[in-house]
Amino acid sequence: MTKKGIKPRTLDHLQDFGCTIPALILILMFTYFPILKLIQISFTNWNLLNDHYDYVGLKNWKWLFTGSGRKYLVNSLKVTFLYSAGELTITLFGGLVLALIFNTMHKGFSALRAIVFMPKYVAMSSAAVIFLWILNTDNGVLNYFITRLGGRRVDWLGQSSTAMISILMLTGWRAIGYGMIVYLAAIRSIPKDYYEAADLDGASYWTKLRGITLPMLSPTTLFLFVTTFISSMKVFQSVDVMTGGGPNRSTEVFVYQIYSYAMEDFRMDRASVMALAFFILLLVITASTMKLSNGRVNYDT
Amino acid sequence: MKKRGERVFCALLVVSLCVSGMFAGGTKEAPVKQQEIPKVDASKYEVTKPIEITWWHALENQYSDLVDEIVNDFNNSQDKIKVKAEYIGNYATVNETLVAAQVAGTGLPALVVANTPYVAQYGASGLCEDLNPYIQATGFDINDFGEGMIKASAYEGKQVSLPFLISTQIMYYNKDMAKAKGIEIPTKFKDMNEFLSKVTEFNADGSTKVWGTIVPGWDQWYFETFFLNNGVNIINPDGISTDFGGKASIETTKEIGDWIKKGYAYFAVGKDGSSIMRQTFIDQKAFSVIHTSSLYNTYVNLCKNFEVGMAWLPATDTKKQEIGGCVLLIPAKNDQQTKNAAWQFLSYLCSKEVNMKWAEGTGYMPTRKSVLETQEGKDFLAKKPAFKAIFDNLDNIYPRIQNKNWNQLAKIWMNYLSEFYNNGKDIDTGIPQMTEEINEVLED
Repeated sequence: MTKKGIKPRTLDHLQDFGCTIPALILILMFTYFPILKLIQISFTNWNLLNDHYDYVGLKNWKWLFTGSGRKYLVNSLKVTFLYSAGELTITLFGGLVLALIFNTMHKGFSALRAIVFMPKYVAMSSAAVIFLWILNTDNGVLNYFITRLGGRRVDWLGQSSTAMISILMLTGWRAIGYGMIVYLAAIRSIPKDYYEAADLDGASYWTKLRGITLPMLSPTTLFLFVTTFISSMKVFQSVDVMTGGGPNRSTEVFVYQIYSYAMEDFRMDRASVMALAFFILLLVITASTMKLSNGRVNYDT
Repeated sequence: MKKRGERVFCALLVVSLCVSGMFAGGTKEAPVKQQEIPKVDASKYEVTKPIEITWWHALENQYSDLVDEIVNDFNNSQDKIKVKAEYIGNYATVNETLVAAQVAGTGLPALVVANTPYVAQYGASGLCEDLNPYIQATGFDINDFGEGMIKASAYEGKQVSLPFLISTQIMYYNKDMAKAKGIEIPTKFKDMNEFLSKVTEFNADGSTKVWGTIVPGWDQWYFETFFLNNGVNIINPDGISTDFGGKASIETTKEIGDWIKKGYAYFAVGKDGSSIMRQTFIDQKAFSVIHTSSLYNTYVNLCKNFEVGMAWLPATDTKKQEIGGCVLLIPAKNDQQTKNAAWQFLSYLCSKEVNMKWAEGTGYMPTRKSVLETQEGKDFLAKKPAFKAIFDNLDNIYPRIQNKNWNQLAKIWMNYLSEFYNNGKDIDTGIPQMTEEINEVLED
């Protein structure tokens, strides 16, 4: 310790902190300031086209939870969770299955792996336009094959019962390769010793999968679950291009509804309460998932 | 044929002379109140130095040659203003881009198109420049547009925009099929059911082989005319409630539902609803379709195997239809030099001669009354005889309903219609719910 002044350790800490200040300023400006602004707008009657607004207290919150907004909030929650469940199933289950297949038969399969992963690099908006063509009722490739097989044309994007499935087809096409690659990397990092020991005990493929592979993949599964869940809850582009939230609001996911209130109805006040409700919901679910997974995830290597 | 053409032309002339009746408003209100404008200093609106301005439009690739020709003609006609035309996307995309630029306060175009329902919202928010001083300073002849069009592009007496590419709802039908079946398009809404039963063809399994008509389930605009003519006040005169819960509205909703339930009419929805509708008609799997008159050229060009007819939508004692298409406006946040240049270009785009180029090159209607009195008007009708259905009813084309909450109302209405017709939701249960929601939006 110096006789007077700051301890060298404290000085080090201050210097370290000083290095983070530029990043902190950016985070405050572009993350926390917009959140604070959003909270402020949720108590106003701001119409996006107007330069001025008035404070209206809890009016927008009441509209969302007890007024006509509740019906659409519930609908968008239902639709978003349905979409999330679909994307999680495709990414986690589909990705795992493909990873197991490609891991078992790895000779000459690198090209196939690349092909499966490649759609991830195609921009969502471009992919959505291609799928619009694939799913077109009259001239789409999918209906062409269905009719060739003796089936009837399906109005994929025009019916409530098939619109969500259509969006999930696009999602699956893009996301399954990502799940596969992440799982494949994780599978290859599992020590071979475990499998050799299991082989000596005469364990079957399924026993090894259940007893070694799946438990050892649990951190990867948790990582994929959380990241896929958050990204799936924020789905927008595919819905915007392919269905515009329709038909009958059957694909009106949360973010699309926020966008619609703000940019179509110009109701920035309503959009902001929806956005805040969404923010809180995501925060709670993610925190709960992390909390619940404690002790259930195996981090051994 | 020539005599018939002359008769049509005379009829047009009579219509054009009935200035006071033409394009009359949606209600029996007093004529548009033009804002009291103090004398303006014309020099304030002159373009004094060279300037480059941007025009945002929604005219797709198929019209790019026409856009280039018109813009180049303007650029070559004077040496102070250079216009750059930019295709932004459809009307919804233009709206989003414009609103984003308006909120940011930068990147605004000098001149922009806007779909007619946006006029009220833009006008109420002060987004648009009041054009009245410019009109007065330059002596622009606005009265040549007709009262309905002026009203459709104004907000509370302020001329916040000018009519640009104007259309209306229309029924396109297969003329050859109509001739073969000996069928006339009905003029009354109550006769639609019988008419559709005659023109619809079914397969042996009961599925529809040839649809009687296709109704566009992606835009409530096409339904407005049926409801208005059946006496429904989509927005009551008080401005804060709707008449959707009334008997007339329920009956009209059920009647259209009946056409769909019986397999006479196809309710086209989804992002490709429009293309499905068009293709079904082209393939002669639909006797008729209800669509915008602006697509006349497209339908005629694509339907090679039969003649396309246009008919006014079946109505009641009233034959109201509404203005569609777009207006032109100048964002008020621009600087005065940009606004002055934009006005010069705007008045050129809306001039009688240029308007005729638009009308001939696209499917939009001529907007100038004086055109009807000229040889150009006569030639136009000779080239596009199906437009007689529109020209005969010019005084039945009304402005859009103006309300700053219109978009929200329209979305709620369209979604309920979609639930009734596509998902089988009970109309008697759904209409009160819809009415309550719309009233809440209007009161807010």
